[in-house]
Amino acid sequence: MAKTARISNRIRRLRFDTDEMTQEELAIRAGCTRQTIIALEQGKYVPSIELAFKIAKAFAVTLEEVFQYEDLAK
Amino acid sequence: MAPLQKRALYSLGIGITLAIVLIIVVILKDINTFDEDLGFRLIVYALWVGVPLSYLIVVNLTLRKPEQIDERDKLIMAKAPKIQYLVILFSLVAWTIALTEAFSDQGQVPVIYLTLIMISTLIISTIAQSVGILIGYGRGAGNGQDC
Repeated sequence: MAKTARISNRIRRLRFDTDEMTQEELAIRAGCTRQTIIALEQGKYVPSIELAFKIAKAFAVTLEEVFQYEDLAK
Repeated sequence: MAPLQKRALYSLGIGITLAIVLIIVVILKDINTFDEDLGFRLIVYALWVGVPLSYLIVVNLTLRKPEQIDERDKLIMAKAPKIQYLVILFSLVAWTIALTEAFSDQGQVPVIYLTLIMISTLIISTIAQSVGILIGYGRGAGNGQDC
């Protein structure tokens, strides 16, 4: 089935902007593993709503500033 | 490497080792002597107990770290059985066809094959689950909303 939407993120950029926060540090703050952060940055994984909020909270920004939703069906 | 990924690698190692041991035992010992050879039976029974026990001890007790498993790991674990069921199904079909072809003229299958089918299914199940998990990590788990 063709994808109708794409969810991208700015985690790498935000880590860079937050004093080069390490993947490990972000993982601890968000309550996930470093491997999940790596997968997120590589676009291999789309997080659950809960994890998405935790990541946004770790950067002290809104959800939209971390994750972008693109409707491909248009 | 994620803890679950490491666990899957250990499981794969155990599974492949046990599969090799089983094949060597079957090749070295004449399979038709199972009923008479007590030593052969003991080796097979040891494998019978050894497969689930080694899996339980090495994988579940020593490598289990629930606090290091997150939603992506859970998603990968949930998807792994799809491969596992398929591989087990095909292995049982293969056993059925092979035994039917080998013993159809005799009208009965030697008892040893019951044990071999069960042990091989356990080993195949362990290997297939590990492969499923490792494929999950390699390809990416997909969407966390499926958790």
